[in-house]
Amino acid sequence: MTIRSRQRPLSFARLGLCLMLGLPATLPAAEPGSVASGGQGSSVAGPAAPDLITPNALQDPLDSPLWDYLRQRFIGDDTYLFDPLVKVHVPPFAEDPSQVPVSVDARALAGRVERMVIWADFNPIQHIVTAYPQSDQVEPQLSLRIKVEQGTPVRAAVLTRDGIWHVGGSYLDAAGGGCTAPSMAAGDPYWESHLGEIQARRFAAPDGVLAHGGARYKFRVIHPMDTGLVSGIPEFYIEQAQLRGANGVALMRLELSPPVSENPVLTFDTGNTRNVRLWMRDNNGNEFETAVSAQAEGG
Amino acid sequence: MPLVSVRSVLPPGLRLNAVARVFGCLGLLAVGLLCVLSQSAVAGRFDYELRPRQVAPDTWLVEGRRESFSTTNGGNIVNVAFIVTDAGVVLFDTGPSLRFGQQLRHAIARITDKPVVLVINSHAHPDHFLGNQAFADVSIGALSGTTTQITQNGDSFATSLYGLTGDWMRGTEVVVPAELPPDNPLILGGHRLRFLAFEGHTGADLVMLDETTGVLFAGDLVFYQRALTTPQTPGLAHWRAELDQLAQLDYRLLIPGHGPLDDTRQAINQMQDYLAWLDATLSRAARQGLTMTQVMALPIDPRFDAISLTRYEFSRSVAHLYPGYEEAAF
Repeated sequence: MTIRSRQRPLSFARLGLCLMLGLPATLPAAEPGSVASGGQGSSVAGPAAPDLITPNALQDPLDSPLWDYLRQRFIGDDTYLFDPLVKVHVPPFAEDPSQVPVSVDARALAGRVERMVIWADFNPIQHIVTAYPQSDQVEPQLSLRIKVEQGTPVRAAVLTRDGIWHVGGSYLDAAGGGCTAPSMAAGDPYWESHLGEIQARRFAAPDGVLAHGGARYKFRVIHPMDTGLVSGIPEFYIEQAQLRGANGVALMRLELSPPVSENPVLTFDTGNTRNVRLWMRDNNGNEFETAVSAQAEGG
Repeated sequence: MPLVSVRSVLPPGLRLNAVARVFGCLGLLAVGLLCVLSQSAVAGRFDYELRPRQVAPDTWLVEGRRESFSTTNGGNIVNVAFIVTDAGVVLFDTGPSLRFGQQLRHAIARITDKPVVLVINSHAHPDHFLGNQAFADVSIGALSGTTTQITQNGDSFATSLYGLTGDWMRGTEVVVPAELPPDNPLILGGHRLRFLAFEGHTGADLVMLDETTGVLFAGDLVFYQRALTTPQTPGLAHWRAELDQLAQLDYRLLIPGHGPLDDTRQAINQMQDYLAWLDATLSRAARQGLTMTQVMALPIDPRFDAISLTRYEFSRSVAHLYPGYEEAAF
């Protein structure tokens, strides 16, 4: 925990973003009250009091003007710390802003992971996915591809059993346009006849990725994942998924948002599991499920 | 009364009182003064310093930097070349911007008083054709696939180049090339020029062989000492097969799209070596189930250390190509 004085940079940009999102412009103003609540209340210093020192304010290592607002939104007033043990791997820049690979890895944390919330600060829809590991047979780790609208911090807030959020993040450089560009599917009827088709494969643990004979599961599902931000194309995306082990035991549950890229590719790491299945449901109520066939193994 | 009614239809912002008018005029003067002052600075700042260098009989090269697009280089990262034939100048590629095209035309005029009679666009990447505007009065030829791609994507390419290089691009607009000359080989002013169509880099890649001088204008089918780029490649195997064909040609000097001249037949070997490594690396990674971020962090064989921008272009290539390798591995 650090004590620091802080100013509020770019508050106009914040307001602008809120307006763009159609949120009430009063939202940022609602924060001062939270200084007193919780242990980690946000610090607010208006332009008139630039040197106000607020206890328990943690400096965002990525220095995002939206940090306090998004922290409030995703983890509320819970205790948190910026923790380098939570790794968020992104490329140095977004070559294709509609398909940016992101890997979140919280395996280095000591406590058992209960939840991982992943978001991008400067996206018009910030939330990407929340993952709930439900078994010690699955690693607190997830890889997928996302859409970004501009250069942005990508965050993972990881809740351990002791009630503390461990926040990791990386800055992703991008020219932009991934969220408000139509999906490829919008111009190609292929998805209509292939919606929900899933490719799946189990991999023996790749070198240096997993120890003790664990397995990796990779899934690719055909789905347009439309954000609803493109004129005339309604929101249409997979919003729930569950990785299930033998006998239907839940391994990890996911809540997804439209910034997950079209035709999502999801990668999970597990212990030495067999008979793993992935179940999904989109916001139109379509359900998809696949088992990973035993033959489709590789190494 | 008439005056009042005129005032009443003016938008509020134009109803300036006298004080504001005075300040407004001063402001305009200041802006004007700034423009005058900065114009000389701008002229210096946006000079590409193009220096054509003779590399073979009648053949001149303007070599770009081995960099990626930036506001410092203004997009001057590309090789353009020209042949001064008895019947006029044949220009191979026009550079990344209107300013580049104009400065290139001046540079050519300093070397010969012959007019530019034919311009060739090797392919549809913006650093190779956005100088066309400065040659709009000349016949500009390209493969039909290139013409289609420029028609479809030219404006968005120009937009992204504005973003990457800034004001160097000012005034640049897309000029779509027409067809190639009907004769192939084309005999022009004492030079016998053969045009060859390939696809490995973008789906429509033109190579020109001057059979008179033995100079091969390879366009971006060949990069040398500068990492190759893959955003539109139909596939690495496809590209490699075409490089084998290219290596069969009877040439003495190869001008790559990016990087130094090659008179030792090393450039195509380097391409083959890197493409084979890239293909094998991505295939192995997909078979092992690596995620894209893991692949981007893989080590690059040190034998490619001398090639500039290898790490940068490798992560771009992973973004372009790895999803395909991943799908093939399911």
